[in-house]
Amino acid sequence: MATQMPFKDFGEEVVRAENLRKTFTLSRKQQRLEHTDFARKVAVNGLSFSAQRGEIYGLLGPNGAGKTTTLRMLSTLIGPDSGDAFVCGHSVVREPQKVRDVIGFMTSELKLEGFFTPSYLFDFFGAMHGVEKEALSARKKELFGRFGIDRFAEVKVRDLSTGMLQKVSLVVAIVHDPAVVIFDEPTNGLDVLTAKVVTDFLLELKAMGKSILLSTHIFSLVEKLCDRVGIIIDGKMAADGKLTDVCAGRNIEDRFFEIYRAVRGESV
Amino acid sequence: MKLLALMKKEFARFFGDPRLLITMIVPGVLIYLIYSVMGNAIFGGGEARYDFRVYVSGESAVVDVIDAAVASNEGWTAEFIYLPADGVQTVDEALERVNGGQADALLVFSEGFDEAIAGTGAGNVVPSADLTYNSENETSAAFASLARGILDNYGRTFSFTVNDFAESADFARNMMAGLLPFLIVIFIFSACMSVTLESVAGEKERGTLATILVTSARRTDIALGKVLPLSCVSLIGAASSFLGVILSLPTLMGISVGSAVSGVGALGYLMLLLLIVSVVPLIVSAIAVVSTLSHTVKEASGYTSVLMLLMMVLSIVAAFVSGIGDWVVAVPVLNAVVCMQGVLTGAMSIWKCLVSFGLNFVYTALLVFVIARLLSSERVMFGK
Repeated sequence: MATQMPFKDFGEEVVRAENLRKTFTLSRKQQRLEHTDFARKVAVNGLSFSAQRGEIYGLLGPNGAGKTTTLRMLSTLIGPDSGDAFVCGHSVVREPQKVRDVIGFMTSELKLEGFFTPSYLFDFFGAMHGVEKEALSARKKELFGRFGIDRFAEVKVRDLSTGMLQKVSLVVAIVHDPAVVIFDEPTNGLDVLTAKVVTDFLLELKAMGKSILLSTHIFSLVEKLCDRVGIIIDGKMAADGKLTDVCAGRNIEDRFFEIYRAVRGESV
Repeated sequence: MKLLALMKKEFARFFGDPRLLITMIVPGVLIYLIYSVMGNAIFGGGEARYDFRVYVSGESAVVDVIDAAVASNEGWTAEFIYLPADGVQTVDEALERVNGGQADALLVFSEGFDEAIAGTGAGNVVPSADLTYNSENETSAAFASLARGILDNYGRTFSFTVNDFAESADFARNMMAGLLPFLIVIFIFSACMSVTLESVAGEKERGTLATILVTSARRTDIALGKVLPLSCVSLIGAASSFLGVILSLPTLMGISVGSAVSGVGALGYLMLLLLIVSVVPLIVSAIAVVSTLSHTVKEASGYTSVLMLLMMVLSIVAAFVSGIGDWVVAVPVLNAVVCMQGVLTGAMSIWKCLVSFGLNFVYTALLVFVIARLLSSERVMFGK
């Protein structure tokens, strides 16, 4: 499918992925681990979907389905082999710099330097996104207060608890008040209290008109947060649409396994 | 603005950690200690006392300057015997005395030397000064070193010739002049390595570099934001090494501090400093390229060791192979080694020093561009 030119006025369609494809070369060791003789693995295979303004879109799938790879392509960390995606009208292939201006990306893959304090890192990443000093100061006060980071603002990141570190990572990712927030497994490894703080904040962001893209394998999270869902299996989009449409009157867990069996032709 | 923030972060990282600061200063102290010990071993300690016996043919105020310089060293004295003197009537007879060890040196000034170099003399004859000594004799060598330093930097134009009855005995000093630049570069390399590996390969390994890559900062800013501050930090190490060399040089050469400074000259030291300043960002950039290509600090450390070994071999070759062509100015780092050797042996070429200085910065710029490209490479940054 030919990639269309990016639309200047992107309207309500904040993210649009068009036929994204990504393959990786497997080392001999990886081939052994995956029990395959193929030197290349298709991680994402012709994925297309769109996310709307002010909505939460969830990519749901098992481990290795291609969720994280898709989000990494949308955040311009890696490029697609073919296809393209547009974030706020900017192509991830041709305008990665502009895409990075409008997104906030959070994943366990991206770490914060343990030597610095949350306050320093917030200011640093604010400067990296070109946020003015006064606006940065006001935003720090607001976000640090909102997440209870203010008491730990001058504690070195390496000395923070996992939950507090996740909160700091979150506020650093959205320091520039991005229009689109991309979260890879937002509640992974969090205790129940911190997980609730994060999920509540995602709903707050949505209420503020932000668009959120998240990947998860937790059914309850999809049901609680997502307006739309895309079910990815083996790098392909198996179902995509409004949560109510995809579920068709059933809960997401039952629906997911039904789709999984239909695609893979095997029981779980 | 973003570049400034990136640079400030690197500085904060470095100056906030006293251990890193110490690793920068220790090399200079080590150089000073090692060279001083070496100098003492070669010249029998730093408290040598000399009583020079020097024949002089012709007249010049230079003799008074040398006499004052001798007197400035505690325990040093000089007896200047003007020809003709009792038992020594001619220059040839004086030369025999120097060769035989009964005298330490012969200074020959052309007629009307002082007037001629002041431009007030008659005629168009170029004034000349000849120094003859015997470097097999330690006292003679010490006097020659001091006298050469003064005559080389006298600030007037005249013909100056130095003759040594035993050129081969100067081997030890020439070897030192050959080894010093090599050692300076190796110490600089160590300083650059300790900060660059941690900052580039370390950040890549820990995943903190990827966090910066997902911001709107340009890759060239990120590359420059590493190379510039790391170069400044490494310069502290380089300055420490440089000071270590300057302070230990007198002991190493068996001469006084004043003689050492006047021997290399202010211009010589300036050139040394410029060459060091040009080499530091180049080495930082080279290590940053290797670090960016590596997955871990350990891997980067291995590759950088190979780079260091290569540089050591080239520098050693440059130290002992004479007659290297002018093409050497085009070889990064090696150009600085050869130019530094020139400065220390009194065969300094200003144009070579300046071209090397400029070219090393051009190579640095090219490497910064390479780093920026590597940061954009998915295979390099996120490949398993």
